[in-house]
Amino acid sequence: MGGQYYSAMINPPPFDADLLRRYDRPGPRYTSYPTAPQFSERFKEADLLDVIRRSNEDPIPRPLSIYVHVPFCASPCFYCGCNRIITRDVKRGEKYLEELMREAAMVAPLFESDREVMQLHFGGGTPNFLSPLEIGRFMDFLQRHFHFSTSEKRDISIEIDPRCVKPDDIAALAAMGFNRASLGVQDFDPEVQEAVNRIQSVEETLAVIKACRESGFKSVNVDLIYGLPKQTVAGFGKTLDTVIETRPDRIAVYSYAHMPQLFKPQRQLDETLLPSGETKLSLLQLAIEKLSQAGYCYIGMDHFALPEDELAIAQERGDLHRNFMGYTTHADSDLIGLGVSSISHIGESFSQNPRDLGSWEIAVESGHLPIWRGMQLSEDDVIRADLIQHWMCQGEIDIPKFEERHDIYFHEYFAEDLKKLRALQDDDLVTISPTRLKATSRGRLLLRIIAACFDAYLNPSATILQFSKAI
Amino acid sequence: MSVKRRPSPIADDGDEIHFCSTCAFSSACQSEGYSKSALEELHVLVEHIGPFREGDHIFREDDEFNAIAAVRGGTVKTYVVDTDGNEQVLGFFLPGEVIGLNAIHHAKYPCNAVALDTVMLCRFSFPKMALLASKMPGLQAQLFRLLSQDIGKAALLAGDYSADQRMAAFLIALSRRYAARGFSATRFHLTMSRTDMANYLRLAPETVSRVLRRFQTEGMIAVERREIELTQKEQLEQLARPVLRN
Repeated sequence: MGGQYYSAMINPPPFDADLLRRYDRPGPRYTSYPTAPQFSERFKEADLLDVIRRSNEDPIPRPLSIYVHVPFCASPCFYCGCNRIITRDVKRGEKYLEELMREAAMVAPLFESDREVMQLHFGGGTPNFLSPLEIGRFMDFLQRHFHFSTSEKRDISIEIDPRCVKPDDIAALAAMGFNRASLGVQDFDPEVQEAVNRIQSVEETLAVIKACRESGFKSVNVDLIYGLPKQTVAGFGKTLDTVIETRPDRIAVYSYAHMPQLFKPQRQLDETLLPSGETKLSLLQLAIEKLSQAGYCYIGMDHFALPEDELAIAQERGDLHRNFMGYTTHADSDLIGLGVSSISHIGESFSQNPRDLGSWEIAVESGHLPIWRGMQLSEDDVIRADLIQHWMCQGEIDIPKFEERHDIYFHEYFAEDLKKLRALQDDDLVTISPTRLKATSRGRLLLRIIAACFDAYLNPSATILQFSKAI
Repeated sequence: MSVKRRPSPIADDGDEIHFCSTCAFSSACQSEGYSKSALEELHVLVEHIGPFREGDHIFREDDEFNAIAAVRGGTVKTYVVDTDGNEQVLGFFLPGEVIGLNAIHHAKYPCNAVALDTVMLCRFSFPKMALLASKMPGLQAQLFRLLSQDIGKAALLAGDYSADQRMAAFLIALSRRYAARGFSATRFHLTMSRTDMANYLRLAPETVSRVLRRFQTEGMIAVERREIELTQKEQLEQLARPVLRN
């Protein structure tokens, strides 16, 4: 597949407004399969301990990835659907850090010491709510308790809010080993910024990007959002031009999902200012066109990357993965989630920490792994997870390879699912041959809709409440 | 139609006139030309037991010996605990292989046997089996063959071999044993933990992983979780030759 597929990805996915409108329905984003709503409180600490013990006993135990959640933000952005706590009290950060260290000290010895950490990511909230000094302390702590790889493939990344960081802070992070940064921008249009309660100047943002480059970060990602209140094609176009000019290695263009029934912060947002469905589609179209013209490859879902970026290269190799942190080149590792609401993916299991700070703290202080819910994947879950993962990353399935890997007859195993897929074939989203499923260029913007055909848990009435729309 | 492609390494069940597909004795008996009905005598000594779950003990050291058992499905590990309290892994028994042979002499089991996954056994009363063997030369020969194999197995790793040679010999031996029972010789599931493997091979667990990782980098094997594929079996055979001697 390789080369040919790669060039197809550089070409922009064709934009068909009518098609996108028809398929703009709620569905999971498949950062995991099964998705988090399937996790159960019946999965307990003892199950997690057992899963970890087994993961150590593989002939070649997987390397480790660590995700650290920092839930605090100094001010509320009204579009936010993340788990976060608004505070300006830096003491809360200090206390949280103490608890994080307790949790890490509990978790680290459970993993055999020859299992190297290949990836560490700080997400939020706002990770840089913690001062560089505090982050440094925590990094030292982690490095004493885990065995960090010294390979140049090691990724240490952090989400940065450019509004509360100074160029010096960036240099400090780089000195600690951070080599990837992801910056929230959303939109530079002042009217939009006011409507979402996030005032962030172009200058301060560009200064942070510049500082990342000068400090030797190997990759900078910028997050944008379309579908925000007061957003216009002209304004978003200007934002795209400004961002593209700085050549971030990766750009994510997320769709704003307005679900105030699920995400409280969104209730502060003035619904009447939201763009129409038509405008929202035009914004997406604009982003795809501008990014493609500027030479960015479409990776999948909301993600674009420069052709020389590792994501684009991994996709070309067929080696791209997807996990809770988005697309990655490291998903053959076991993922340890630290902090409130974090999700771990160890062996064939998912487990999640409590979503509220109090419950997480109580568990950690009592000396127990702070597990709220999780699940042990069945054999069928594992097969479908692999299929959906492959699909979301590569947009195609090599059927004989898949059959060999899982020891199944594909067309028999997925007989029911393929029936659903045939309806999408009629809409020219996917081609189905005896040996290959492949997203058409029209289907590439709707990968998650196609993946949903293989989701054994999907029940149409439940999805409306739990998941955001596709576009 | 089944959605699974490869036969499961859990044997299909026999009945009063058919052997299970992995039966440790069927080939000996059939090659001697015993008719199915003559074999009924053998079948009466047989008792299918299990399933044992992962971690269940099948027998413990010093239990009174009265039966040997053929593995029908799953993997059994035998081990002893030395005077310092350390576990020493003696061996792994795959479908078609017989456990308890080393107890024949002592009238007591000299080791522990534990199920590594879901294990099904075929239990033979030993006194009755011995009596029957005296009437069936083929069965007797097969018993002796099994006994000598069991003795030979332990001696294999006693020599002064490198970690690479031990690991290669272990993989090739597994491959041959699976192949002999009609399973794939190049792709199988490693049912034992890396700690058990390391213990058996007298290596550190990290060394087991390091060697396997190197074999993988060199293209000789592909490992994913506990699935292993021998992608260049000849090279492994070469590496294993000093240990296996053929």
